[in-house]
Amino acid sequence: MRAESSLPLLPVYLKLRMQPPWVFIDEIRRFVESFCACACPGYGREGQLALAVHELMQNALPTGQGDDVELYLEVDRGADRVQVAVSNRCSEADHRALAGRIEHMYGEPDALAHYLQAMHDTPTSERGGLGLARVRFECQLDISISRLEGRVTVHASGPLQVPAILPRGSRP
Amino acid sequence: MTPSAPPPAGVPLEVSDEKYSAALAHDALGPLVVFRGTISTPNPGSVLNPFVDAVHQHLLEARAPDARVDLRELEFCNSSGFKAFIHWIQRIAETAEPQRYKLRFLSTPARKWQRTSLLALSCYGVNTVTIE
Repeated sequence: MRAESSLPLLPVYLKLRMQPPWVFIDEIRRFVESFCACACPGYGREGQLALAVHELMQNALPTGQGDDVELYLEVDRGADRVQVAVSNRCSEADHRALAGRIEHMYGEPDALAHYLQAMHDTPTSERGGLGLARVRFECQLDISISRLEGRVTVHASGPLQVPAILPRGSRP
Repeated sequence: MTPSAPPPAGVPLEVSDEKYSAALAHDALGPLVVFRGTISTPNPGSVLNPFVDAVHQHLLEARAPDARVDLRELEFCNSSGFKAFIHWIQRIAETAEPQRYKLRFLSTPARKWQRTSLLALSCYGVNTVTIE
């Protein structure tokens, strides 16, 4: 049951700018989960948004060239919308590679099918390769990117209210 | 179910890093692999994959029909750490059918990521993974 909130139905957002080291990602993830639990009580979205923030920030750091990583998180109950945006400095080659991965991911319209394929194809001995697929399926968010002045922003957005992901065999 | 033998001496069936640990234990219900803490380092596979390989070898030698994997004290696992479980499923899939064993994951609703992550994992390891 959704908890009643005294908050008006206006968008609530936060912005964070983090300078590496990345060890503070755990603290940011916990903060985001608490923030979302307060900003949209009863929707059960806080764990998914915390996971998305963690994965996108961890993806950003290796290509960030030591520059700031910026996080924007918005929860809009009135519009039934959530969005996460993580921005970092990025070379043109890294941007092209990321754009290619996202294009490849959406070549498979079913988020779970792509996630399972990524599990199969991604070497388990190396880092990377699974985070975006995990965000798309587990967090039920759509992913896109934009680029401005040498920085890339990965956007993950979707409805605030989502159906529960059903166990195997329960899917229609 | 027949409880399997305790691990042989000298085999690394316990690992720990700054924020997490994993260990194989045994109780009356058989082998139990417990993960604790927060797996969020960039490449936890360098620690966890050798551990999984050692546990896998031990379970094969013990002819265990299944192993419980306890995540209830695992606060978080990033996608790089999640690959250790994928690695484990792949190891089991590479094993000849009569020797294969099941992974029974123990989770908690208090860790909200566990439900969807384990659902996805159960779809990957259809004949290997159950969630309890």
